[in-house]
Amino acid sequence: MQRSNIFDYKNYRYFKLAVIVILIAFVAYLLFEPAVGHYGGSWLGYGLGTISALMVLWMAWYGVRKRRYRGSGATQGWLSAHIYLGTALTIMVTLHSGFHFGLNIHTLAYAILLIVVISGFFGNYTYMIYPRQMTENMGEDNLDGLLLRIAEADKLARQIALLMPDHINNAVARACGETSIGIGLLEQLRGFQPNCPSAIAVQQLSVMDNTLSTEQRKLYRDLYSIMVRRESLVKRARQDLMYRARLGFWLYFHVPFTIALLVAMLAHVIAIFAYW
Amino acid sequence: MINCLLIKITQNSRGLPVRSYRTLAAEELTFGRGAECTIHLPDPRIAMHHAVIKRCDDGELHLIALNGELEIDSASRQNIELTQGTQVMVGPYQLTVEPTPPDVNLSISLALVHRLPDDFQNIKSRTHEPLPGATQFKRRLSIWMVALIALLFLVLPMAQNLIPQLHDTMAELPFGFDRVWSPGHISNAHRHFGSQCANCHQALTQQVTDQACMQCHRDTTPHITDPALQHHAFEAKRQFLGSTRCGECHREHKAPHPLTRQDNGMCVKCHGNIKSIDANTKLSDIHDFDKDHPGFKLTFKSGDNNEKIERIPQTEKARLIENSGLNFPHSQHIGKVQGPNGMRDVRELSCTTCHQSEGKEMRFKPIAYKRDCLSCHASKLEVGPANAKLNVPHGSEQNVMNTLKLFAPKAFELHSETLKTTGCAYCHVVESSVKGDALPWRIKPLQINQDWFSKARFKHASHRTQQCNSCHQVEESETSADVAMPDRDSCLRCHSGNSPKYKRIASGCMSCHDFHSVHGAVNAPISSEKLNPEELDTLLSISKQPPKE
Repeated sequence: MQRSNIFDYKNYRYFKLAVIVILIAFVAYLLFEPAVGHYGGSWLGYGLGTISALMVLWMAWYGVRKRRYRGSGATQGWLSAHIYLGTALTIMVTLHSGFHFGLNIHTLAYAILLIVVISGFFGNYTYMIYPRQMTENMGEDNLDGLLLRIAEADKLARQIALLMPDHINNAVARACGETSIGIGLLEQLRGFQPNCPSAIAVQQLSVMDNTLSTEQRKLYRDLYSIMVRRESLVKRARQDLMYRARLGFWLYFHVPFTIALLVAMLAHVIAIFAYW
Repeated sequence: MINCLLIKITQNSRGLPVRSYRTLAAEELTFGRGAECTIHLPDPRIAMHHAVIKRCDDGELHLIALNGELEIDSASRQNIELTQGTQVMVGPYQLTVEPTPPDVNLSISLALVHRLPDDFQNIKSRTHEPLPGATQFKRRLSIWMVALIALLFLVLPMAQNLIPQLHDTMAELPFGFDRVWSPGHISNAHRHFGSQCANCHQALTQQVTDQACMQCHRDTTPHITDPALQHHAFEAKRQFLGSTRCGECHREHKAPHPLTRQDNGMCVKCHGNIKSIDANTKLSDIHDFDKDHPGFKLTFKSGDNNEKIERIPQTEKARLIENSGLNFPHSQHIGKVQGPNGMRDVRELSCTTCHQSEGKEMRFKPIAYKRDCLSCHASKLEVGPANAKLNVPHGSEQNVMNTLKLFAPKAFELHSETLKTTGCAYCHVVESSVKGDALPWRIKPLQINQDWFSKARFKHASHRTQQCNSCHQVEESETSADVAMPDRDSCLRCHSGNSPKYKRIASGCMSCHDFHSVHGAVNAPISSEKLNPEELDTLLSISKQPPKE
């Protein structure tokens, strides 16, 4: 039997919990409408707000907890709860707001919370699809294995290119000497590098030079096939880096905005009780 | 012909230089990757035909670049004269002109100084880690956001509250730092000062006090006229509600929702169990107009001055007698009536012929003799036999008596008695004069009730789509003692209680009642000047002040 994952952990225990929480919140919202309409300061609003704040603190604690290798319960269960209750949280705080938005700290805290949750959704999505695509891309290789094969191809290509005219030799030398993998954040996320020397070299080689001698032509074909193989290896290495970058990129937002959310939430609560 | 000694410098396994010597003789010495070159340099960084050494016109040996590049001290050169000691970079090789031994024209050494890097290490060094500087970025972003949020939304608003100088400075500006704490739109009435939070939120962690409201709303009246009862009632209310602040009913920051609560919640908290507030009260418990609202009481003026009133339940029909001082049958003044000018003068009268509305709320102008009666009735009253008729004017009794004394002094007693029993008494109630009065009789002063429901608010304007007689049944009324005010059941034909019913409008307490002024307390405004600043509940504190007389 396949091991349970974070979504169906313990037979969807936290999914059910989240649904129950949402339903209770909705029913309470529909049944108990204050005379002046829904707002955060009614007793229902305070209730939803307090529960939401506690949920935020608990979710944030997950970030601390998962970096420790001790503690209660399986990390998988914590993550499952983190995802499902985090989703429920968006509904709780929306009901807490009573759909009143404005240019103030309260809506700012709400917006930051949405950014945190949405970035979390994206992270969730990446962990759903990219690990499998990574395996498909790499097969049984790892990145160092790929680099080793690229290096072998480099050596072979350079030896053959020694016998080729200057422009071919230069293109091959440039491809071997200047190809880089994941040079910047944008290239890593795109998994593509514009003006890649390897791609340029293959493009140049794809048109046979008419000045070559018969002997050179045979070698030329070898060189071309080596360079094409080499380019596909480079692409796979870049794809691998792209997946790893995308798997981590959402944390660029999830973590800093969580910290910002804690401060904004503190300011929100202080503002409420300062001007009671 | 050039005779050249070529010294190739390589490194042995221990890294020490090894020199191998070779002599070359040729017209030109070519350097390059190509197998046909005199000096074959198998390195991808060398061109097929990189450079050539040849004797130039000046008779000296020159190194001339062909397809490759030559460098001396990192400067690119095309043509280099070879003298002893010259060091030239030919691609990755260093060419040095050595001291020339005999028998040769030229002695050069070549050493590979820039080895090709190891391919694996090379590509590995150019393979970057995913998400470079992620940790640093996250840390910086966190710090910046935390700092910005804390400064704008916590530190500055707090500082404005805690530092008096800053508070005073910011008060001059259109809005303060604490503006970002506002949880919602301010109502239109308060918007002109509302962006300065401190105008209402005068102390941190304290709810808006009534004093803040009273700075402007000085003429607000209490709920109950009797100060002792007011104090007692609100003290009792506070014990189980916690607060009786203005803000309990007037909720700010909820625009466009009305500032005042429109529901019955706060009313029913006391009036749903009114005995818990005041055990001696005669009021009954009320939750809903449709369910347990008692029948109406009508306000009658008792006594001559208008301040004395009596409220009589509509159920006590025998007591519902209006003492207006007029004899007026409504039944004869509605529909087709005979005019004063003979048989053919038939006039159609309706309610609005005499009851003329005025103002937006459609209250009614008082009935006026000249405007409402004269159009049909004669302006002068005739007394006496046909041959000696005397006209008396409509006006004060004194004028009437003067007229009689002047024009018929002999028949004064007779005429005066006629007027008392039939003339003036046709419309007016005539009273015998008290002892010592100069006049033999007097007209009873008119006392027409203007406000039957003095504890409720009723706008005819809101009911203008209805016919008058759907509420006021006067067609059959033979006497002006009749009171034609609608009762609760007739309201309930169109109105329901807290929730709407079929073809009936939902009507809460606020539809008819006003918390502040229905209880005849218009003469007792709360004055903020007299308030004890430590007293939070203004409504409660006003009872300590006797109402203004």
